[in-house]
Amino acid sequence: MADSPSAQRPFDAIPDGDPVISFRDVHKSFGDKHILRGISLDFPRGRTTVVIGPSGTGKSVCMKLIVGLLVPEKGDVWVGGTNVPDAPEKDLMSVRRRIGMMFQDGALFDSMSVGDNIAFPLRRHTKLREAEIHDAVDHALEQVGLPGIADRAPSALSGGMRKRVSLARAIITKPEIVMFDEPNSGLDPLTSDEIDSLISRMKEELGITFIVISHDIVGTFAVADKIAMLYNGHLVASGSPDEILHSEEPILRRFLARNMDLPALPGAKP
Amino acid sequence: MSALAAGVRKVGAYAWFTVDCVRATVTHGVPWDRVMSESYKVGIRSFPVLFTMALFVGSNLAIQGHAAFSTLGGGNLVGMFVALAGVREVCPLLAATMVAAKAGTEMAAQLAVMRTKEQIDAIEVMAIDPRSELVAPSIIAVMLTLPALTVLTIAVSLISSMLVAVYQLGVDRGEYLSFLVGYLTAYDLFAATAKSVVFGLIIATVSGYFGFFSERGARGVGQATNRAVVTMCIVIITLNFALTSILYG
Repeated sequence: MADSPSAQRPFDAIPDGDPVISFRDVHKSFGDKHILRGISLDFPRGRTTVVIGPSGTGKSVCMKLIVGLLVPEKGDVWVGGTNVPDAPEKDLMSVRRRIGMMFQDGALFDSMSVGDNIAFPLRRHTKLREAEIHDAVDHALEQVGLPGIADRAPSALSGGMRKRVSLARAIITKPEIVMFDEPNSGLDPLTSDEIDSLISRMKEELGITFIVISHDIVGTFAVADKIAMLYNGHLVASGSPDEILHSEEPILRRFLARNMDLPALPGAKP
Repeated sequence: MSALAAGVRKVGAYAWFTVDCVRATVTHGVPWDRVMSESYKVGIRSFPVLFTMALFVGSNLAIQGHAAFSTLGGGNLVGMFVALAGVREVCPLLAATMVAAKAGTEMAAQLAVMRTKEQIDAIEVMAIDPRSELVAPSIIAVMLTLPALTVLTIAVSLISSMLVAVYQLGVDRGEYLSFLVGYLTAYDLFAATAKSVVFGLIIATVSGYFGFFSERGARGVGQATNRAVVTMCIVIITLNFALTSILYG
């Protein structure tokens, strides 16, 4: 499997449950800060994989490597038949068109209304008529539980609403993979629960691959089919929620117990 | 030596960014809706400030020209002075520096904020090239609107200088116009607009470069804006010398 992950095959040839994204010995540094130290991890198709770990451990870096916003110093990042770090621009664009992303703070364009934000990728990638685009925007807003706010400005939205609008924009092009960057960060517990419910509902409705970056333990077990934990640039645990819950891995146990005062792994910089 | 190497690297990075913007525009096409909104922002919203400055720069040129030539008994040569100094040098520079200060800094700050708020990342993840989406429309908009603004600046400064020369300094209107028309040629207008096209390219690409590659956070936005305006002004002034040497040398 390590030499020939199924993610080396095109999207359409990957059965449900087989890896659609595969990291192989991925290293990434920023200056002298070694963030990822040889990560190998699979993300199964049609499942929700949650990557957990303390802040600054490289979770968001993994997400940016998948869409080619960052390039690793070493290793492969296979996404549906394309090794992203080596991909020519045309192939990279093709990978990106199959992926939607909900950003931590929404990353909505301040100069546009909510509706125009959601319509943006449709206007750039399709030749749909304006009436069809309006219908698609209304449908996407209904899917994320925010009907009738297309005319509002992003600045008039709460943190939770901005994340939902960001999700609506991510799913409007019907991607095969949706990534969530810290969907619960900065939210109160009730709104956080609403976002978890929304992710679970979208998972049922869309049946596509979800990747969630989180350090929220409750939310992780609410949505995950698979959980992977990063710590100091290493993958310290990976498995089903049940396997993770019963794991004897000490760092994972401490993390689950919300003890963030974690010891360094051998070979890791303090 | 390392500072020189760093400087050369930055110029190289800027040149590559400019080429990349052109390449992205050719590959992905031009979002004309954004070109229109940028043109409005640069052209219409810059004009009131530029109009005011051109009004008083023209009047001061008349006063200074009259003061200088009066001592030689040629106060009526003020029209020639305005044609040579104003049309050929001051007006293109005035329009360019004004657009750099107003629209250029706005572009740099806007891009830097978009970088900070991950909006540029969002555009990339949507499989849209942010250079063709965000920077290329500004390049086209500034290169189209700055020549028009320069011609308007010339017109306003000529009118204001004539009004001051005739009604404040007592220069004969016929003589003023005769010297103005005698020295002002179509080539001068061509040279002024040619300069402004080059200045427009510099303003859009320099502000785009510093905004696009800014560091995240409030400090990054401030630095990007500051570096953009300083670089634009230095490059425009330096290039103006080179262009004048080429066009009139």
